[in-house]
Amino acid sequence: MKKKQRKSQQYKKRSMLAMMLRQLRKNKGAILGLILVVIIIALALLAPVLYDYDTVVIAQNLKERLQAPSAAHWFGTDDMGRDILARVVYGARYSLAVGLIAVLIALLVGVTLGATAGYVGGPMEEVIMRICDIFSSIPSVLMAIAVVSALGKSTVNLMIAVGIASTAPFIRVARAAVLTVRGEEYVESARAIGMREWQIVLGHILPNCISQIIVQATLRVGSAIISAAQLSFLGLGVPAPAPEWGSMLSSGRSYIRDYSYMTLFPGLAIMITVLSLNMIGDGLRDALDPKLKR
Amino acid sequence: MHRYILKRLLMLIPVLLCVAFVIFAFMDMASGDPVYSVAGPDATPEELAQLREEMGLNGSLLERYARYIWDLLHGDLGVSYVSKRDVMATYMERLPNTLKLASVTMVVAVGISVPLGIVAAVNHNSLKDTISMILALVGLSMPNFWLGLLLIILFSLKLGWFPSGGNTGFSSIVLPAFSIGVGLAALMARTTRSSMLDVIRQDYIRMARAKGVPERKVIRKHALKNALIPIITIFGVQFSNVLGGSVLAETVFAWPGVGRLVVDAIDQRDIPTVTGALVMTTLLVSIVNLLVDIIYAYVDPRIKGQYIK
Repeated sequence: MKKKQRKSQQYKKRSMLAMMLRQLRKNKGAILGLILVVIIIALALLAPVLYDYDTVVIAQNLKERLQAPSAAHWFGTDDMGRDILARVVYGARYSLAVGLIAVLIALLVGVTLGATAGYVGGPMEEVIMRICDIFSSIPSVLMAIAVVSALGKSTVNLMIAVGIASTAPFIRVARAAVLTVRGEEYVESARAIGMREWQIVLGHILPNCISQIIVQATLRVGSAIISAAQLSFLGLGVPAPAPEWGSMLSSGRSYIRDYSYMTLFPGLAIMITVLSLNMIGDGLRDALDPKLKR
Repeated sequence: MHRYILKRLLMLIPVLLCVAFVIFAFMDMASGDPVYSVAGPDATPEELAQLREEMGLNGSLLERYARYIWDLLHGDLGVSYVSKRDVMATYMERLPNTLKLASVTMVVAVGISVPLGIVAAVNHNSLKDTISMILALVGLSMPNFWLGLLLIILFSLKLGWFPSGGNTGFSSIVLPAFSIGVGLAALMARTTRSSMLDVIRQDYIRMARAKGVPERKVIRKHALKNALIPIITIFGVQFSNVLGGSVLAETVFAWPGVGRLVVDAIDQRDIPTVTGALVMTTLLVSIVNLLVDIIYAYVDPRIKGQYIK
């Protein structure tokens, strides 16, 4: 009897997030995505151990330029004689960092604004949502281009540009999520026992909206990585000679006729990374709302 | 309904004014003081002041913005710093190419996505469904400019079926349209599948089957027709996305559209062209979005009903 009681108590204690993760474990696609992301992160972290940045990744070695894939250079070498595999592995550091930090910027700004709009309501909500409308009216690629043009080309500005261009969806998701839990009894109880507004928002409302925000963030990291690669491809992202995947594709484009492998591998790296993140995002979304899975 | 359209149109005005301000302010930050680069190092302060007035750069940001909006209302987007041509005329020259690319892209996207989504939904939880959805996920994760490069390698350089760039007739639009269309198709296939799955489980579908309507007809006439609303919505949203987001494909394929105009203008620091093209594209995208909402309200009587109240 006691055991049974304990079991039901445990069940009650389980948070939405814990339930979502339990569901996620059953999803083969999401698990495969997770394994791939872990491998990519491990490679990004181990890159300095595997290759020397100054001598292998950015140093020119004209004797070895434009060599096709071989045992010595698995992915071949580029127009400067640099090993493409080493650059692709190092590129993961840039792409993941830009993707994650851009989404973090979008998440912090978007959730703060969205939660404020949803919780406070009234004219404040109206103003925030109209700002959101304004930012969603500008196509995201053009928005990011405008921000980079205004701030100048650098890795940090690339993160800010992609972050700003990704903010609007977070405002919408956070507002909608807060609106659904705002009227719940536990929020009213918190207010009744005299908790301050910010304590209610941080302690009671946001934790109950976190799963939707996590799903949105996971799906957005992939698109942020693509946006960053797009800007670098246009020459507006990470400055040369840093091995960013988008700028590698841009330089590979000049040699596309005879050395197409230069274009193949960086693109494949972007695709596999984004695919893995999307698989996790899809899995999380299905876990959050099994109705969507079907 | 008329009131709804009018309300939406009126709401568009402040949003567009603010969008124009955001773009104008960003571009103002980007330009620094272009007078110095135009006048050269030997210009006297008087010459600089005169040039600043000629270029419309005198006054505060708000004053310049007000002048910009006033000129914009008269169809004037200023003059390019580089080509010295009217920005509106250049934009209008490029716009038909972008519209043409966006239209063919949508045909490609619908042509791939709707059959794929239907096959996946009709064969729910089967191998066909799994393969279709894996393809959709891969399409969604593939950067369109990389796909463009791969298409050039295969269909242009190896097989020689299509030109690798430029605008030399219909054959030159095929590869850029596919490079953007595949990603869109992936997204639309997922929407088609889930919308079809929603409809297939309805009672009237069971009823149609029960009275002996052939399966093909059930899918085409009863299910697809009712599943179309979310598909139309996503079609509209994606069409405006292509209008605003074809920059990359236009760059890869040297397609002379608006996207390429923006990228070239940024390279040359031609601020009036960048600002003008961004403002006009945003205006276009907003109008397309509004049209989609209106069509949506017309197609779905339930939505129309909301506004009649």
